[in-house]
Parts: sequence; structure tokens; C-alpha cells
Amino acid sequence: MTTSNKKNLEMRFSGAGGQGLQLCAKIFSKALIGEGYHVSMSQSYEPTSRGGLSRADIVASGDTPDYPLTTELDVLLILDQAAVNASEGIIRDDATVIIDPRRTKNPPQGNFKVIALPLSETAIKLGSERITNVVATGVIAALSHDIPLDIVEGALKSISPKKFLALNMDALHAGVELARGLKTA
Amino acid sequence: MTVQQNVAQATPTINLPTINLQGNHACALGAVAAGCRFYAGYPITPSSEVAERLAKELPKVGGVFLQMEDEIASIAATLGASMGGVKAMTATSGPGFSLKQENLGYGMKAEIPCVVVNVMRGGPSTGMPTRPAQGDLMQARWGTHGDHPVVALTPGSVEEIYQQTARAFALSEKLRIPVIVLFDESLGHLEETITLPDVTEYENTIRKWATGKPEDYKPYKADADGVPPMARPGDGYRVHTTGLIVAEGGFPTQKADVVAPVMKRLLDKIEINNDLVESFEDIDCQDAEVVVVALGIVGRSAKKAVRELRQQGIKAGLFRPITLWPFPTKSFRALTKKAKYFVVAEMNAGQLILEIGAAKVDKQSVSGLNRYDGEPISPSLIKQAVKEVLGHE
Repeated sequence: MTTSNKKNLEMRFSGAGGQGLQLCAKIFSKALIGEGYHVSMSQSYEPTSRGGLSRADIVASGDTPDYPLTTELDVLLILDQAAVNASEGIIRDDATVIIDPRRTKNPPQGNFKVIALPLSETAIKLGSERITNVVATGVIAALSHDIPLDIVEGALKSISPKKFLALNMDALHAGVELARGLKTA
Repeated sequence: MTVQQNVAQATPTINLPTINLQGNHACALGAVAAGCRFYAGYPITPSSEVAERLAKELPKVGGVFLQMEDEIASIAATLGASMGGVKAMTATSGPGFSLKQENLGYGMKAEIPCVVVNVMRGGPSTGMPTRPAQGDLMQARWGTHGDHPVVALTPGSVEEIYQQTARAFALSEKLRIPVIVLFDESLGHLEETITLPDVTEYENTIRKWATGKPEDYKPYKADADGVPPMARPGDGYRVHTTGLIVAEGGFPTQKADVVAPVMKRLLDKIEINNDLVESFEDIDCQDAEVVVVALGIVGRSAKKAVRELRQQGIKAGLFRPITLWPFPTKSFRALTKKAKYFVVAEMNAGQLILEIGAAKVDKQSVSGLNRYDGEPISPSLIKQAVKEVLGHE
């Protein structure tokens, strides 16, 4: 039973296997724990090591939730077409849905707003498509009202391997800039 | 709201650490906390993290981790280690649990304590390795051949996985029986913010060792609790361990008048100790018109559904077995006297529902809410099923 005044927050990071979606969830999990939330993190992936639907979910709440899996998403990231159908019917009308249009040709349909941003293109410009997940992390951190950016930065720093830290931080900040561009546009 | 947790719980301490932990890791840490010092296993999705974590943790506490050539050898090594006097465990999933069945029965018959974890995935056969299911409930009860006693626990959260794995060791030691811990992939891979429960009581529970003159020792002569003291290797007691039915003295027999009491004692020892074994969670069952019966991750889903239904004025309750086998029939009957309907929600084609059909005392209707497509049962599906049986929708 929730006794805290923290509101529930449900996030999903989805795409194809190998896109680093678990890492996205780990960063936000760590950040939300730092903010005093109880965090339930779940995942789903295919038996293959690359490709197929992959998703990592977070349910953050003031106390241990009755049900720890997602039922009403507040934040949804889609990095690949393979993940579009998986969230059908559980996206809130006021959800933030972020997609990478380069790999998501048919975005989900609904009353929610879909934000298309050049996530993988930005990552490629920075040197590697593999950091698309961190660019997306920056976007979500900047758009979120619940998680301060410096807490996300701290979480990324603590998780990132040292030799990729600079690249990861660049990717995070490039994501933040993409989101800020939206706000002023 | 009445929430009754009929679980032998160690006293919670305020200073226990709050951490984020994955279900499979909680299983490994709960085992170590309960005094497990031997693990033999063969990695298989979705249980591999249990082995992975124990490979790191056991050497730190002077324990032994063995990766075996297969699942059959793994349970054989686990039983052997336990006969050597060590608290021992193996963990597996799906096809691995099938492979372990023969030796599981050996452990039940020869009365060898150990813990066997099965992280359930979609079946049959290799099925869906990375998807959750609850298709092994009846296999846990009847998977090995012949009449046999069984204790199987079904935790419903990461914290409970830690606690119930530890409790499984205590029960196995106390009752001299392999205890099965069952949870599904979604709980095994779920990470939750938890407070590690104090399990010192379970750590301190060890089997009865034989005492007295070695020449007077009868290896299968039980005490009043139905459990015979075990011979510790090196203490000088002679014992022959076999899967054959043996008389009190330990020698094989097929004489009906000897076999009957031997089998009766073996089958009754769990019932004699029911106070120790039984555990369940009950939310608002006593005045409920509809009682949802669910376990594991579906129990969590049902908890949310029942709370929300109550807010809508619908008299719904939840009965969640934590000890699945033996099913807590007497308590279930006592708590659900007023129920008119049972909704059994489970991630299989209908297994727990068979037990509810047998356990109910009255002519209540029993409906199944089943899913076996690799997806969990959501709270909204349970709410819908309850409203349907009430004729609300």
C-alpha cells in the first residue's frame, strides 16, 4: 500500500535486442532509487542474443507496489519497429512517447503525443549507433519532471565503463539538447 | 482491510538494509543466509542468475559451487552433499526440472534434506525459455513416480523469494525432505527495492543428528514428529541409503505388513508438522463473495485487483498460497466459508483450479482465468473476470 506522497511512475524502454535498453532502465532505476523511490524493474527479451523484441520496464512508487509490472505507461521509448505492438493498450493518454523514426516507420497510434527525434542519427554523428540508448536517456531525462538531470548524470557515471564515459556523457548531453530544441520549437 | 500472513516469520529488525535486488539473486542470497554451503547446477534460462550469484557468494563463506555436466548429475551431487551433512541446493528451469524428477523422488524416499529451485518458463519441452509461466505446479506435486510426500513453496515477491528460499532450507532440515521452491521467470528476473528479512531462525534450523549407542541406531526409526534422526558421516553410525523401501533398521523389504507403516509414516510426516509447513496470504477473504486464488506474480496482480474491486464496493478477497504443496486446504475452507464464487487465476491451462475444486466445501462455482501465451495476467483481467462471475458485465 502506498503511504508516500510520491506518485507512481511507469517507464518502458523498448526496441530490438542489443540496443542497450536494459542499460537505459538501469540508469533510471539507479536515479529513481537515489530520489527515494521504490523501484521495480522488469524485462523481456528473446532467446536470441541480438534482435527481436526487447524491453525493460520500471515501476517507481513511494512504497512496494501491489503489482510490480507495468500497466499504464507514463514514459515509452521505442527504438525499433519490433517494439511498437508490445505496448498496445497500456499507454496513458498523457504519456510521453519517444520514437526513433529512422527505425520506427509505423509509430503507435492513440491519443498520446508521439515525439519523433533523430536519436540514432545523433548517435551516429557522435561516432557510434550503439550509444543511441544514451542519447534517448538524455532526451527522457530532460523531458521528465520527476528526475533531476544531475541525478541521471550521476547514475550514468556510476554505471558506464571508464573508457566509454566521455562518449556516454556526450551522448547524454546531445539527447538533452534534442529535448531542449523541442521545448523552444 | 484484513491482511493475514500466516508465515513463520522471523522478527523484522529496523536496521536491516534496503537494497535493489533481482529475484534470482535474492534466491541465491537467501540460500547463503540460511546456511547453504553447497550448490550443484547446470545453467538454464531463466534460472541461471541463481547459479551465477552462488558461484560468487559460496566461495566467500567457505562453500562449494559445482557446475555439473547436466541437471541429473546436479541433483545427484546436491543429495550427496546433503548426505555428507551440508545444507545443499540446486536450481533449474523447465526441462531441467523434468530431468531432476527421478532423483527428487529418491531424495523424498531416502529422506535427504535439500532445496530444489524451479524458475518456471513457458513449456512444454523447451517451450519459451525467456517467458514466464506457472505450468509446473502439478509437476512439483506429482512429477516423480509413486506416492510421495512433498513440500513446495511459491513466493510472490523478490523479498519473499529471499525469505522462502531460506525457509525452504529450514523445512527440509526439519522434515528430512527435498523442498521445492517455485517461482516464474517474471519474478526471477524482477528487480525490486526490498528490505532483506532476518532469517537467522532458518539459518539456525539443522536436522536432527543421531545420538546414542551406534549399535542401537535404527536409521529409519522416527521420533514422534515422524522424522528419523540422520546419521552424520564420521559419527560411527551404520546406514545404507537406498531408493528401495526399507524397514526401520534400514534393510530393504517388500513385506506388506512392514511396508504399510513405513509408507504411512513417510506420507504422514508433513501433515504431522502442518503448523510448520502451512503458509498463505489472505486479503479480505472472510466476508468476500468472490475469492480470487492466485500465487506468485499472479498473486501480486490479484492483490491490486482485489484492492481496486473493494474500492468499487465489490466484496472480493484473495487467497494466495505461499506453501502450494501440501495445499493449505483446512485454512482455505475456514476462510472462504462465505464465498459464493472462486476465480482461480494462473499462468497455465488450469492446474491450481483442480486443487480448489477438491478443497471447496460447498457448491461454490469455480472459474478459471488462464493464460499460457508467455504474458503475465494483468490486474485488469482479474477485475474483469470477477465482475463477469458476479454478472456485472
